[in-house]
Amino acid sequence: MNDVRNIGRLFASLWRLIRGEDQRGRKVRWLVAQLRPYRGRVALMFVGLLLATAAGLAPPYLAGKAIDSGILADDVGALDLIVVAFVAVSILYAAATYLQTYMVGWVGTRVLQDLRQRVFAHLQSMSIGFFTKRSPGVLISRMTNDIEALNQLVTSGVVTMFSSTLTLLGVVVIMLLLDVQLALIAFLTFPLLAIASVVFRIASQGAYRATRERIAAITAYLQESLSGVRVVRSFGQEPRHLDAMTELNEENRAANLRTVYLNASYFPAVELLAAVGTAAILLYGGSQAIDGEIQIGVIVAFVGYLATFFDPIQQLSQLYTTYQQGMAALDKIFDLLDTEPDMVDAPDAIDPGTLRGEIELDGVWFSYAEGAEPGDSAWALRDVDLHVPPGQTLALVGATGAGKSTFAKLVARFYDPQQGRVLVDGHDLRGIRQGALRRQLGIVPQEGFLFSGSVRENIAFGRPEASGEGIEAAIAAVGATEFVGALPDGVETEVGERGVQLSAGQRQLVAFARALLAEPRILILDEATSNVDVRTEKTIEKGLERLLRGRTAIVIAHRLSTIRRAGKIVVLEAGKIAEQGTHEELIAAGGPYSKLYGAWSDSAA
Amino acid sequence: MGFLRPYRPQLWGSLAFAWAAMGMTVLIPWLVGRAINAIESGDKADLLPLALAIFGAAILRLGLTVVRRLVAGKVSLAVEFDLRQTFYAHLQRLELGFFDSQQTGQLMSRATVDLQSIRFFLGYGLIFITQNLLTVVLASAVMFVISPWLALIALAPAPLIVYVASRYNRVSRPALQEVQQRIAELTAEAEENVSGIRIVKAFAREEYQLHRFRRAVSRVFDQSIYSTRLQAFFSPLIGLLPQLGIALVLLIGGREVIAGDLSLGDFTAFYTYLVMLAGPMRMLGVTMGMAQRAIASGNRLFEILDREPRIESPPGAPPLPAGGGRVELRGVGLHYEGAEDVPALSDLDLEVEAGRTVALVGPSGSGKTSLVALVARLYDPGAGTVLVDGVDVREVDVASLRSEIAFVADDSFLFTATVAENIAYADLGASREEIEAAARRAEADGFIRELPDGYETRVGERGLTLSGGQRQRVAIARALLADPRVLILDDATSSVDATTEAAIKAGLREAMAGRTTFIIAHRLSTVSLADEIVVMDGGRIVDRGSHAELMEGCGFYREIAEHGLADSVFLQRDLEEREEMARL
Repeated sequence: MNDVRNIGRLFASLWRLIRGEDQRGRKVRWLVAQLRPYRGRVALMFVGLLLATAAGLAPPYLAGKAIDSGILADDVGALDLIVVAFVAVSILYAAATYLQTYMVGWVGTRVLQDLRQRVFAHLQSMSIGFFTKRSPGVLISRMTNDIEALNQLVTSGVVTMFSSTLTLLGVVVIMLLLDVQLALIAFLTFPLLAIASVVFRIASQGAYRATRERIAAITAYLQESLSGVRVVRSFGQEPRHLDAMTELNEENRAANLRTVYLNASYFPAVELLAAVGTAAILLYGGSQAIDGEIQIGVIVAFVGYLATFFDPIQQLSQLYTTYQQGMAALDKIFDLLDTEPDMVDAPDAIDPGTLRGEIELDGVWFSYAEGAEPGDSAWALRDVDLHVPPGQTLALVGATGAGKSTFAKLVARFYDPQQGRVLVDGHDLRGIRQGALRRQLGIVPQEGFLFSGSVRENIAFGRPEASGEGIEAAIAAVGATEFVGALPDGVETEVGERGVQLSAGQRQLVAFARALLAEPRILILDEATSNVDVRTEKTIEKGLERLLRGRTAIVIAHRLSTIRRAGKIVVLEAGKIAEQGTHEELIAAGGPYSKLYGAWSDSAA
Repeated sequence: MGFLRPYRPQLWGSLAFAWAAMGMTVLIPWLVGRAINAIESGDKADLLPLALAIFGAAILRLGLTVVRRLVAGKVSLAVEFDLRQTFYAHLQRLELGFFDSQQTGQLMSRATVDLQSIRFFLGYGLIFITQNLLTVVLASAVMFVISPWLALIALAPAPLIVYVASRYNRVSRPALQEVQQRIAELTAEAEENVSGIRIVKAFAREEYQLHRFRRAVSRVFDQSIYSTRLQAFFSPLIGLLPQLGIALVLLIGGREVIAGDLSLGDFTAFYTYLVMLAGPMRMLGVTMGMAQRAIASGNRLFEILDREPRIESPPGAPPLPAGGGRVELRGVGLHYEGAEDVPALSDLDLEVEAGRTVALVGPSGSGKTSLVALVARLYDPGAGTVLVDGVDVREVDVASLRSEIAFVADDSFLFTATVAENIAYADLGASREEIEAAARRAEADGFIRELPDGYETRVGERGLTLSGGQRQRVAIARALLADPRVLILDDATSSVDATTEAAIKAGLREAMAGRTTFIIAHRLSTVSLADEIVVMDGGRIVDRGSHAELMEGCGFYREIAEHGLADSVFLQRDLEEREEMARL
C-alpha cells in the first residue's frame, strides 16, 4: 500500500514541478538557468542523446529485415545492404553515445563546480556568528556530498529520464508498427514488469538505507572504541566491546540479508518475464507466421525488442531515488544560499587609512542569544564603557564567563553589539570597511590554527606580498629561528592539514610570527600562551615585548608577568567592568583584583 | 582463503546451481532456434511443446537462480561477519604500542571497506566470473556444434571485447580513485576553511581562501573530465564490438541460409546467442577487476591478522597476588616504536610503598605518562622489570593486573553511553548508590544532576557534549568506582577550574587512602596531595623529595614550580569560548 502511495507521490511532485507550483520549481529553474553559458554543449548533448536512442532501436528491426527481405527472399544484394545499414547504425550509436556521455559529463561537472564555488564564496561572506551556530560538518557537506548528489541527478538522472523514456516509446511504436496483435501480446508483460520494478526499487531503497545505517554504526563504534583504546586497555574491558561489536555485526548481517532476499526475488523474476514473453511471441506469432499472416523476421525482431525494454524500465524505476536525493540536496544548498550575509559593509563604509589604534567602547551591551531582554542573564557584556588610548596595552582579567573573549571579539567586529558602539580612532566600526579594519588587526588565539601549506605561507598569511627578509625578521622576533631552522625544509616545510606536522608550541610560534608580520595597529592576544609548554612560553615572552611595542594591544592572559606589565588592567565580572587601573593601584584598592590575586597565590603555594 | 572452509558445501552448492541456471539460459536461444525452424517448415504442432519447453526452462532457471542467490548471499554475509569478528577480536588482543603506529581511519577502513569488497567478490564476483565464463563457453560450444565456421567468425571479436573491457577497468579505476582523492582534498580544504574561519576573518583573507578553493575545485574538474572521457570512449567501443560480430553473422550466416547450408532456426539461434553474450563478455572484464580488488583487500586484512600481539598473559598465568599496591621499577628503559633513537625512559629505578602518593613532575616529554603506562603493562619495557606487589607484571594475568589499576588520563575519553554507564565502566554490576558515591567524591554529582536526564544522560561522540572539566570529573569517578589498588591521575584535573579543583581535592584525599597513587599534574595545588614528589626530565628521575626539600635543593624543580606550575592557574578561560572550541 505504501509503495503505491510513493509512486503516486513521485508523479504528483513531478506534476507540481512542471506546473511550477512548487517552491522547487524556482530552484530547478534556477539550476537550468545555470546551463545558459554552456548552451552549445547542452544542445550537442541532446543531439547525441536523440541519435544514440534512435540508433539503439534499429538493430533488432534490421535483423528481422535481414531475414525477411534478404534471406527468405533469397536476395543477397538486399542482405548486404541491410548488413551495411546495421554496421552503420552501430557505429552511429557508438559515436552518438560518445558525444552524449562526454557532453553530459562536461556540462554537469562544470555547472556543479560553479555552484560549489558559489557556496564557498557565500560562506566567506558570512559572519563569525553564522559559523558558531552551525556544525562545520554540515557546512562542509553542502560543498561536497550535496553537490555530488545533485551531480547524480543532473548527469545520470537527466540522461536516464530522456533516453529511457524515448527508448520505451520507440520500442512500443516500432512493435505496434510491425504487428499490432503481436505487440499487444508482448505488452502483456509490461505492467507486471513495471510494477515489479517500482515495488522492488522502493522496497530496496529502504533496505539499502538500512545497510548503510548499519555499516555507519559499525564505523562509528570502531572509531570510538579504537580512539578510546587506552581506556579500554587500562580498565581491561575488551570482552565487553567484543560483545557490543558482535551485536552490531549481527544487525549488519540481518540488514544485508534483506537485500539478498529482495535481489533474489526480483532479478530472477525479471528473467522469467522475459522468457515468458519470448515463449508467448513464438507461440502466437509462430502460428500466425505459419498461416502466412506475418513474416518470420518480425518474430525475430520482436524477440530482440523484448530484450531491449527491460533495461529502461529498471532504470526509470531507479530514477525516483536519484530524484529524491538530488532534490533534497538542492533544498539544502538553497537554504544556505538564501541565508543573507548578516554583516555586510554599509554602502557608505569608509576606509579609515592607517589607524592610530585608539579604542573606545560606548555603552556596549552584547548577547550571543538573539532577542535578550535587559534583565536576562544572557548578556555577555552589559553597559561597558572603556577608553584605550593609542599604544596602550590593556589586560583583561576575570573569572570564567566574565566576557573577556567577547570583549576582544567585538573589537575585531566578529560581532556587532546589540546596544552601544565600538569605536576605533573615533569611527564606529559599523561605518568602516571590515577588510580595512581587519588588515590592521593581529589576533593570536589560544590554539595557533595553521592552514596546510609551508611555514612561510602561513606566516605570510596576512601579508602575502611580504619579502623573505621580512619573514625571517618576524621569525627571529618571536624567537622561532631555532625551531624553523631545524625543520627538514626550513621555512618551506609543509605544516600539514591544520598544521599537524608541528607541535602545539611550534604552531603557536608560527601564529605569533604571522600576527607580527601583519604589522597590526591593534594586537589581540587571547590566552595565546596557555597551551604551550614552559620552554616555548619563555621564548614567546621574550618576543612579546617587541610585539607589543608601538601598538595598541588587548591581552587576555593568565601570566602574572604579562598582566603586571599592562598599562591598564580591566577586571570583568559577569559582563561588567568591576574595576580598572594598574597592578599596583588595584592591589592597593583591595577590590576583586586583589582577591583574584590572593586566590592565585594561595593555589600556587 | 581459509576463512571459506566452514562454508565449502554451500559455496560449491551455489556454484553448481549457478552453472545449472546458466545451462537453462543457454538452452533457451537454442529452443528459440528450433521454434523458428518449426515456423519455417510450417510445423504448427511443434510450436506448443517448444513454447512450453522455453517456459519450463525459464521456471527451472528461476528456481535455480533464487536458491543460488540466497545461498551465495548468506555465505558471503557469514564470511564478512566472521572476518569482522576475527578482526575486531584480534585488535582487542593487540598491545597499545600497535595503535600508536596505526591511524584509526586505516584500521576502520579495513574493517568496513575492505571487508565489503571481499564480501562482494564472494557474493557476486566469484559467481559472476564462473557464470560468465560458463555462459561464454557453453554458448560457444553450442554455436560450434551448429556451425563451427560461423561460430569462429561470430566469436572473432570476443577476445577483443574481454581485452578492451578489462583495459577500460584498468585505466578507469585509478582515474576514478584520483577523482575521489581530489574530492577528499577539496573536502579538506573546505574543512580547514570552516574550522579556521576566525583566522580568515581576522586577517581579512577571504579572497585568498576563495582562490585556494578554486584551485581545488578545478583540480577536481580536470580529473572528472579525464575520467568522463575514458568512459565516453570505452563504453561505446565495448558496445560496438559485439554488434560487429552480429553483423558478420547476418552477412555470412544469411548467405549460408540462402545457399541452404544453414537452417533459419540455427541462424536465429546464433543471432540470439550473440545478443545474449555481449553482457557476459563485458562483465568478465569487470569481474576480473573485482577479483583484484578483493585480493588486495584480503592482503591488507591479513597484514593485521598476522601481526602477533606482543603483550599477552603467559599461558596459565596466575592472577595478581593480594597486596597493598607496592610498585617497583628496576632499571627500566622504554623506546616507542618508530622513535628508537629517543628513549622515553632510560635506566629508571623507583619504589613506591603501598598506600603512598607520588607526584610526577617534569616538562612534557620527560616520561611521566610512559612511567605510569608501564605499571598497568600497557607497554612492556625494553629493559628492566616492573613489579606490582613483588611480582613481575609480565608473569601475571593481564586482566587481573589491570583490574587493580585505574587510570584517569588527561584526555578523559568517555564512551557513547549514559553518564551512569560511563562511571560504571569497570564494573557493569555497580549499584546506583556506588555510582553516585563515586561521582560525589569526584565532585561530579552536582553537575550530573543538572543534566537533562541526570545520570541517564547520554554523552560521548554521539551524545551531549560535556565540557573538558566535566569530562575529567566523570573520568575520575569512573576510576574511583573501579576501587583499584593503584590509582593513576595523569593530568586529571587540568581542565577543571580552580574552585572546583579545591573541592575535588577533598574527595581525592579520601579516595586515595589505602591505595597507591600516582599523580601527574602541572598545578602545585594538585601536587600538594602527594607524600613525595618525583622530578623527571628526559626519561630519567632527576630528584625526589617533598615540595619544601625540592624548592630548596633542586633548581630544576624550582624553575618548573615558579613558571610552569604556578602561573597557569591564575585565571580560567571563558567557558563559552571553550564550549565553542569543543564544537569545532
